[in-house]
Amino acid sequence: MTEAALSSVARSTAKIDSREKALRRFEIGDRIFHIVTRSSAIAVLIVLGGVIVSLVQGSMPALSKFGFGFLTSDAWNPVTEKFGAAPAIYGTLVTSFIALLIAAPVGFGIAVFLTELCPYQLRRPIGVAVELLAGIPSIIYGIWGMFVFAPFLQVHVQPALIATFAHIPGLNLLFAGPPYGIGILTASLILAIMILPLISSISRDVFNTVPTVLKEAAFGIGCTRWEVMRSIVAPYTGVGLVGGVMLALGRALGETMAVTFVIGNAHKIGASILGPGTTISATIANEFTEADGAIYTSSLIALGLLLFAITFIVLAISRLLLMRLEGQGAR
Amino acid sequence: MTPLQASRKARSAIAMGFCYASAGAGLLALALILAALLWSGFSNLSPSVFTQMTPPPGSSGGGLLNPIVGSLIMTFSGVLIGAPLGLFAGTYMAEYGRNTRLTTVVRFINDVLLSAPSIVIGLFVYEITVVPMGHFSAIAGAISLALLVVPVVVRTTEDMLNLVPGTLREAATALGLPRALVIRHVAYKAARAGLITGLLLAIARVSGETAPLLFTSLNNQFWSANLNAPMASLPVVIFQFAMSPYKEWQALAWVGALLITFAVLALSITARVLGAQRTSS
Amino acid sequence: MTDLAAAETSAPREKLTEKMRVRNLDFYYGDAKALKSVDLDFYANQVTALIGPSGCGKSTLLRVLNRMYDLYPRQRAEGEVMLDGENILDPKLDLNALRARVGMVFQKPTPFPMSIYDNIAFGIRLYEKLSKADMDERVERALRGAAIWDEVKDQLNASGLSLSGGQQQRVCIARTVAIKPEVILFDEPASALDPISTAKIEELIDELRSDYTIAIVTHNMQQAVRVSQYTAFMYLGEMVEFDQTDNIFTSPRERRTQDYITGRFG
Repeated sequence: MTEAALSSVARSTAKIDSREKALRRFEIGDRIFHIVTRSSAIAVLIVLGGVIVSLVQGSMPALSKFGFGFLTSDAWNPVTEKFGAAPAIYGTLVTSFIALLIAAPVGFGIAVFLTELCPYQLRRPIGVAVELLAGIPSIIYGIWGMFVFAPFLQVHVQPALIATFAHIPGLNLLFAGPPYGIGILTASLILAIMILPLISSISRDVFNTVPTVLKEAAFGIGCTRWEVMRSIVAPYTGVGLVGGVMLALGRALGETMAVTFVIGNAHKIGASILGPGTTISATIANEFTEADGAIYTSSLIALGLLLFAITFIVLAISRLLLMRLEGQGAR
Repeated sequence: MTPLQASRKARSAIAMGFCYASAGAGLLALALILAALLWSGFSNLSPSVFTQMTPPPGSSGGGLLNPIVGSLIMTFSGVLIGAPLGLFAGTYMAEYGRNTRLTTVVRFINDVLLSAPSIVIGLFVYEITVVPMGHFSAIAGAISLALLVVPVVVRTTEDMLNLVPGTLREAATALGLPRALVIRHVAYKAARAGLITGLLLAIARVSGETAPLLFTSLNNQFWSANLNAPMASLPVVIFQFAMSPYKEWQALAWVGALLITFAVLALSITARVLGAQRTSS
Repeated sequence: MTDLAAAETSAPREKLTEKMRVRNLDFYYGDAKALKSVDLDFYANQVTALIGPSGCGKSTLLRVLNRMYDLYPRQRAEGEVMLDGENILDPKLDLNALRARVGMVFQKPTPFPMSIYDNIAFGIRLYEKLSKADMDERVERALRGAAIWDEVKDQLNASGLSLSGGQQQRVCIARTVAIKPEVILFDEPASALDPISTAKIEELIDELRSDYTIAIVTHNMQQAVRVSQYTAFMYLGEMVEFDQTDNIFTSPRERRTQDYITGRFG
C-alpha cells in the first residue's frame, strides 16, 4: 500500500488534490508501520517474559512439595515420586568447571598463537576455521564423543589414569575405576573441545584490541614475548578475557546434546570423575518425554528453571565485564 | 648473558612453547572431529538417504527423507514466524523507540534469551503448546525454533540499523518521505547485507538445534507433512539413532550429522561472505 | 658518502665519536623498497634529527635502529648498522639486549596498564633484581631525569592513564631512561601534544643529550632547529643530505633540501 503511495509522488505533481491524498496515505501508512513495529517489540517482551513466568509456574508443584530440599536431595525416584536436584546440579557445575579448566588455558594459547606466533599467511585461514567451528551444532560433538572419543578414552587413557593415581591419596578417589569410557570426565572433555573455538576466537578479538604501539613500547624496552603478553596484554585485556570465559561457561552450563551422549545419565554424586553422572540438561533431555505424573514433570521443569537461573547469573556477570572493557576502549 | 636474562628467555620460550602446543592440540582435536564426521558420513552416504524413509529398528536400508523434509519444514516455518517478528521489533528499537524504556527492557530480555539454554525454550513451548493441545506437533517444534530465531534477528536488526548514518535518514526525510518509507526504502536498503547476514546466522543456529525439538515435535518414523502431528527432524533422528544399539541406525546418524554440518557451514560461510562485502564497500 | 665527508670537514664544534653507523642500508616492506642505500652516523651526546616529507622513510629508519620491524612479517633490512662496532642486523643478535641499549619513545604516549610507579619499575625489574629501597630510588631518579617527579610524586600508585598527554609522555621517557640505554630514539614525540608540553619535552631532550645518543624523527622543522645538532634530510627513501643542523637550514647544498625547508613541497 505504501509502495503505491511512493510511486504516486511522481504522478501527484500534476494534481494538488492527489498530492493531498498521498500525504494522507503517508500518514496512515506511517502510523500503521509504527504500530506494527511497536507491537512486535511488545510481543517479543511478552513471549520472552512468558518463558520465565511459565517456568516458574510449571515448577511450583515440585518446589512446593520438596521445598528447599529439592536443591540438596540426591533422591531421584519416579516410582516413589521423590526428586532432588543435587546430582544434576553437581554434574552441571563439575563438568563445566573441568571443561573451563582445560579450555581456558588452551584457548588463550590458541589466541596467542593466532595473534603473535602464527605465520602471517595462515592467520586468517586458521582464524576463520576456528570461528566456523564455533558454529557447528553441538550434537556433532556429542556423536563424535560417543562413537570415537569415549571408546578411545576407555581403552587408552582411563586405565592409565587409574593406574597412575592408584596409590596417591585423594587422587586415587578422583580417578577410581572401572574405566567406563563415558562419564563425568568424558563429558567435560567434550565440552572443553566444544567451547574451545568460542574461547579462542573471543580472546583473539580481545587481544587485537591492544594498541600495537603499546606492545611495541614493551618490546622497545627489551621485554620478551611472554613478558609482553603477561604484563601488558593480559592486564590490558583482563576484563575482556574473563568476560569471554564467562560467556563460554554459560554455553557449557546450558549445553545439552554434547553432554547427554557421554555422561552416562546416572543420578548420583560419586567421588570419581571417571564414573557416570548427569547434568540438568541431560536429565531433561532424557526423561522429559517419558515423565508421567505431575510431580515428575514439574521436577524436570524446576530443573530447567534452575539451569536458567544459573546461566543467567553467569551471563549477566560476563556482560557486565565485557561492557566495562568497551568503556575502557572508549576512554 | 646474566642468569636473570637467561631465565627470562627460558620462561618466554616455555610459555610460547605452550601456546604452540595448545594450538596444535586444539586444532588437532577439531580436525579429528571433522575427519571422523567426513569419514563415517561419506562412507554411509548413498542415494537412498534422500529417497527413503527412516527404517524400522534392526533392518538395513532406509534413508533420511522424512527427517530431512521435516527439518526443512520446521526450520522454514520457524524462520517464517520468528524473522518478521524480530525484524519489526528490532526496527522499533532502532528507529522509533531509541532510548525509550520499552526498548531498554526488550533489549535486556532479548539478551537474556539470546544466551539462554535452548532446552529451556523447549520446556516453555511444551508448556504453552503441547500441554493445551494434548499432543506433540510440528507446529510446536516450529514455534520453539522461532523463539530461538527471534533474539538473533532482534539483535542484528537493531545493531545494523543503528549503523545506518543519521545523515542518510535526514536526506530521505528532506525529500518529504514519511518515516515508515524512510525506514523501509532507505534504512533497510542501507543495512540489507547486515540484515541478511543476521538472518542466515539465525537459520544456521536453529538448523542444528536438537534439545527444544525433543519434547515439542518429538519424532515420527513415517512420512508426515501434517503440522498438527509429530514430525521427524534430522537432529532428533540423529540423537535417537546414535543412542540405539543398531549398527544401521548409527550409520544413518553419521550421515545425518554430515548433512547438518554441511548445511550449517554453507549458511555461515555465505553469511561471512556477505558480511565481508558489506565492510569492504 | 660525499655528504658524510662534507659533514666531517665542516668544522665540527667538538670532538665527536660515532655511536651508531649506518652503511648502505636497504629496507623492504615485502617487495617495496622503503630505504635505498642509506648512509648516516649518529654521534654520541648529540641529537640527530631526521626530517623529510611523510613517507620518506624517516620512521622506517628509526625502527631499524632497534629492530622494531622484526615484529612484523615480510619486513627486512639489508646493509650494515653498527652500534659500537657491532652489526645489529646480525640475525643472531639478542633482540631484548639490543632494545635495552637502544630505547624508544613513541609518537603517542604509551603508558602501560599499571601504576605510574610500576610503569618505571617494570622495565628495571627486567634487567636487575633490586631491593625495595633501591627500586624506589631508581624510580625517583628516572622520574626526576624526565622532569616529571614533582608532578607525580604524590600519586605514584595512580594509573598511568590518569595523567595528561604531556605528563604521560614524560613518564614514558622516564621509563626508557630508567633501564639505562645508550641510545634513545624519539618518533615524533611531541606531535600529539600541546605547545607547552612540547616545549617541556624539547627541553628534556636537550638535557638528556649529555648522557645519551639521541635520534629524533620530526615533521616540524622548527623543532629540528631547536633540539638537534645534526640533521638528516630524507626524501623518497634516500638520504639526501646530512650535516650540522645550522648548515642544513642556512646553506643546504642540495636543491631538494632547499625546496623542502623553504616549504616548496612536503
